Formats: sequence, structure tokens, C-alpha cells
Amino acid sequence: MAWAILSGIVGNLRAYEAVLADVRQSRLAIDEMFILGDVIGPQGDNAALIKRLYQRRPGEPRVAVCQGWWEEQLLILHGLGRTGEPTALIEQYGAAMTKTLWDAVPRELVRQIQSWEFGIFELDCLLAHGSSLGVDDVLTPDTPVVTLVDRLQRMEANYLFCGRSGLTFDYEIAMGQIQSTVQTLDQPATNQSRELPTKHIVGVGNVGGGEQATYTLFYPESGQIQFQQVACQTSPKGFGR
Amino acid sequence: MKIAVMSCIHGNYEALNEVLCDIDAQQVEQIFCLGDLVGYGPHPNAVVEMIRSLDIPTVQGCWDEDIVDGLNACECSYPSLIAERRGKAAHVWTDQALHPENREFLAQLPLTLRHDNLCFVHGSPHNQHEYLMPEMDAFAAMERVMATEADVLFCGHTHIPYVRQFDQGQFTVKVNSVTVKSNQKAKQKTITQEFTTSLKKIVNAGSVGEPRHGRPNATYVIYETETQNVTLREVEYDYQKTCAAIIEKGLPEIFAWRLARGWEYAERADDPSHICER
Repeated sequence: MAWAILSGIVGNLRAYEAVLADVRQSRLAIDEMFILGDVIGPQGDNAALIKRLYQRRPGEPRVAVCQGWWEEQLLILHGLGRTGEPTALIEQYGAAMTKTLWDAVPRELVRQIQSWEFGIFELDCLLAHGSSLGVDDVLTPDTPVVTLVDRLQRMEANYLFCGRSGLTFDYEIAMGQIQSTVQTLDQPATNQSRELPTKHIVGVGNVGGGEQATYTLFYPESGQIQFQQVACQTSPKGFGR
Repeated sequence: MKIAVMSCIHGNYEALNEVLCDIDAQQVEQIFCLGDLVGYGPHPNAVVEMIRSLDIPTVQGCWDEDIVDGLNACECSYPSLIAERRGKAAHVWTDQALHPENREFLAQLPLTLRHDNLCFVHGSPHNQHEYLMPEMDAFAAMERVMATEADVLFCGHTHIPYVRQFDQGQFTVKVNSVTVKSNQKAKQKTITQEFTTSLKKIVNAGSVGEPRHGRPNATYVIYETETQNVTLREVEYDYQKTCAAIIEKGLPEIFAWRLARGWEYAERADDPSHICER
């Protein structure tokens, strides 16, 4: 059993096809593909891409999709988001981007995008665009370790696969321990000790943002993580850990 | 410097008065308040006016926010329909009773205050509605302190005072990262790092006006910045006077009943870790 996990296609159908070709050509039994949001983007053929997500061809795995930052901004524009104003979109890209994004996705696809999950919990793995906190949470290897642990602990997950940073990394927390004392009005200070089992935060890469698409293969039974690099027009190359 | 931190006064003027007298007696140099000046209790205006007149730095609590912005929490805020009816009735009563200038005061309160290496919030740095319970997962609790970049995080909201001190946390991490540049083969590197976190504290100030530690006494805390010593204070006051005023004003009688016992009983949230999605 293997999973292909990708993020950040941003409407780049050619890059997505390159990843699918890589998956088809691999001799691995990849039975699930998780797409961690930012399927759509302000450029690219979003309609064709979304249609392709659900056109499963022989040798291709099942696809599960969750929402990313661009999907959240689109839903806000259509009055279906968790906030009323596209503040983050305007702050990052300017007011003109509201129209660009509105025009980039046919209206009939908005409800379908709304139906995508915020995140997916499978086995002991949380798969989400940002983190358990929100789609805009950017986790990288430079994020403080306590913050990373918190994002895992919020969902009691052992693996958190995320795509917001666009980076490919496996951050393994091999050991974590903390001692604390709690004192209340009725109880003197009592010691508490907490140890953390091994946990992973995995940046799954980025498919559509450049000439090279990156994505992640995960083998749930062994816990092995393998990053894949695919040239969008040339033959793909893999690299494992 | 000796500071006093109080929270969750909830319109209980009798309790506030007695706590302020106790603070005076402790020769405190500065008072901070963690919000929830109104709600449940019969004297919201008197409480807000006292805090204003003493110029006490105060953060906005969840009840203060609800009065300013309107009730829009999801139904998960209440453990039962009957508790929801009571909560909403108290909200409507407080909303009508509060003077406009006091409402404005609540509206302009900040969500966070900083004083040197101390941070003051109502619930948690992430949300006024989040409960930092003493038994909360230590790693998650530590994150709440570190998110503020302070050494001591003062919070309220649970109505039960406690001090939680985190000794040095230790982590070993292995990072396998991959760099991909245009038309180049990916570069991988693996590094192993050790992290140690510094000493941190969470201090919950309890509740002045609606205690839930099992006794009707008001609670607050005193912190000494030089020694980092925390003292949990419990102050007796004439709670029966407040209970009588609750009934006299037409607020739900159960608020008087539970105030006299210092416990939540039927109003206790099913899942204190849940945060409303608004």
C-alpha cells in the first residue's frame, strides 16, 4: 500500500498530468492519491483540471481532495467562506486579484470546491493544506518544534502531511519530553512528566508552481517517506530518503 | 515589583470590592485584569466603572466580546438546551442593562497585554474562548506560552486558579529536507538537532465574581517579578448579597445557587477543549 500526496497544482494541468504519468509508470501499488489543496489558482485551466481530477484512468489511484488557501479565498469571494471579507487575498495580492480569481473559476464549480474537506484523517495521519490550525498556517523545518508538536497534538496525529510551504521535507521528532508542575488552591505542586512518541511533519512539495513538480510517496505500513521530482515535460526522476 | 492579576468579575461588585481591599492590603504596585467584567452577575455597570476609574489595564473577555458583537457562538457553548436558554437570558439582560459608555469601554479593550516578559490574555493567546485547563497536554500548553514570546502567560476563563510551571523541555529532531531548483537534480540533506526550551509558566487567575473551585470565595493571584513567585489568593466576601441581587434583578436563579457553592454543576461545558467556529 502506498499513497501519493501532492499539493499546490494551482491550475497547472500539465504539471498534474506529469505527476499522474509518474504515478502510472511507477511499479508501486499506489492506491490513494491525496491532494492537499491549492488545486486552483488565479491562472491556469481550473475547469479542465477539476474535471480531470474525477476522470480516473486505468492505473491511476483514487483521488481525495481537501481545500487549500486559494480555495478558501474563492469561497470567501462567493460568500461561502468562514470570513466575510477577502482580507488576506487583498493584503497579499492587491484588490485586482479578487476579480482575477473570481474569473478564474467557473461559478458552477464553486459548490464542488466547497464540498472538499478541510483536512483528511487516515490511519494516524492528518493530511491538510496548512495544518490543524488553518489553511494559511505555514509549517517549515524552521518552525519552532513546540509549534509543530502542537499542530500534531490538536488532532492526536503521528504524521502531519502539509503543503502550504511548497517545500519537501520530513521533520521527524525523534524524542520529546517535558516536565511540569501544577499547583492549585487545594493541592501542592505535583509533578507531571510527558513524553512524546516519534512524530513526523512532512512538507509534501509543490506540483504546479515551477518547472519541476515535487510530490511525496508514503508507505503507511513501513512509515517510509519518499520524495518525487518530476520535470513537467521530460521523464521523471525519483529520489528517496 | 508586585502585581495582582484578576479575571472573570462577571458583574459581581461585592466580590470586586473585597478583592480590591485585599490587593490594597498586599501592597501591590500594579493590577491587571483579564476580562469578563460582565455577564451572569447583577452589577455590570458598577464593575466596569470601577475598573475604568482605577485605570486598570484590562483585556477583553469572551463575555465582553459577546456583549459588544452580539451572541454568535455555536450551540456547543452550552451543555443543554435549558443551559442555553439561561445563558441567552443573561446575555439579553446584561445587554439591556449596560450603559453605552461602558459598552464602548468593553469594545476598545485589547485581546492581549504585554508587560516585559509577561503576557496577559483572557482564554488563550489564540482565542478568548479557549480554556487552558491545568491537565491540558503539556506540549500544547507550552505552545500557548511560546506563541506569546513571553515567559509567563496569565489567563483566566476557567474560573479555577492554578500555576503550571514548565521545566526545560527537550527535543531531538531529524530533518530530511529536499531542495529543488529549476532543471537541476534535487539536493537532499539530513540534519539532527537538539532543542531545549526555557522555563515557562502559565498562571490562571481564577475568578473574582463567579468562582468554580468549590467554594464561593473570590480568587485572584499575586506575582512578584523579581522572584517569579506566585501566590493564589482566596478572598471571602458577602456572596449572599450578590445572590440576592441576582434574584432581585430577575436573572436566572441558578446563577445565585451556583455562586453560593462555587461550582458549575449543570452549566459545565461538555468539552472544554472545544472552540466555537464562528
